[in-house]
Amino acid sequence: MESNTTITNAKVRIDHIEDVLSSVAAGDLDLRIESEVEDDLTGVEQAINLLIDDLTHELKKSNQMKEEMQEKLLKIQDQQKMIFQQQEDLMELSSPVSKVWDNILILPVIGTLDSQRTQIMMENLLMKIVSTGCTTAILDITGVPTVDTQVANHLLKTVTAARLLGAECIVSGISPAIAQTIVHLGINLSNILTKATLQSAMIYAMKKNDQLVEGKIKIDMKELDDNQL
Amino acid sequence: MNYNEKKIPIIKIRDYLIVSIQVDMHDRLALQLQTQILDEIYRTGAKGVLIDISTLEMVDSFIGRVLSGMASKASIMDAAVVIVGMQPSVAITLVELGLEMPGVDTALNMELGMEMLEKRISKD
Repeated sequence: MESNTTITNAKVRIDHIEDVLSSVAAGDLDLRIESEVEDDLTGVEQAINLLIDDLTHELKKSNQMKEEMQEKLLKIQDQQKMIFQQQEDLMELSSPVSKVWDNILILPVIGTLDSQRTQIMMENLLMKIVSTGCTTAILDITGVPTVDTQVANHLLKTVTAARLLGAECIVSGISPAIAQTIVHLGINLSNILTKATLQSAMIYAMKKNDQLVEGKIKIDMKELDDNQL
Repeated sequence: MNYNEKKIPIIKIRDYLIVSIQVDMHDRLALQLQTQILDEIYRTGAKGVLIDISTLEMVDSFIGRVLSGMASKASIMDAAVVIVGMQPSVAITLVELGLEMPGVDTALNMELGMEMLEKRISKD
């Protein structure tokens, strides 16, 4: 009779353990196994309780880490976005085409040229030629430290494309180092108009456009009034 | 569709021929246009030809070759050819294709093209 009761008790307690374990598995970590009596099963129950404690602790820790990681990820994503934005800005800024005088555009190039940049440069220049209707463009490469075959080729392409649109392109500011490289590489720039300085390119362009009188700038005041004031 | 029925009009004003391409060029049309222009130069004795391609958005190597070929053929017949109003994308394509059209005159728009022709003809 007594052993029967013990077995029933044990069964009840094991059921309880099962219940608690399944609730814990389901996510309720606050539950613990409670028992009033001490017997063989108590050790098991305590061990399970300890395990649940450990589990709770670890879960909390991992959750915390997850949050931290997420925060860091967001930060990194933000930074990446900013870098992209800045790169785009830099690309835009790196090839400004400005109209300096009637019929004359200037594209000052500063820094190292790569194929992507020259591509954007070329597109910008051609667009500007079409939108402003200017027929003279000066490509000033004073600020370009070195030139290799690829870059020289790109420059040639830009000049040729501008010519196809009907605009004349003058390249100015070729440094001694660049001149040496270009000749050394065997690149033929003979069908490109080159000028030593931006100034001489500008003078050439203005002469060609009939904007100089005896070396002085000819200004049509009336036109100036109409256009700029 | 019979392509031969669709002809690009060639307008003669004084000593010039004006051709405005306003349809998509395909190979046969380009060749036909070339023959047409050369015939017209012969017939009218025009001194200059203005070809407006401002509405042309795409050019392949064949059309590019026909255009530059037309210029050299016309110059043998004593007529200057000016290609007018090329789109930036077209210019980039031609340059990338290596068709740099040496010897072909180009102008930004019809007005500048006409000025260019007048200058060239008065020089001769």
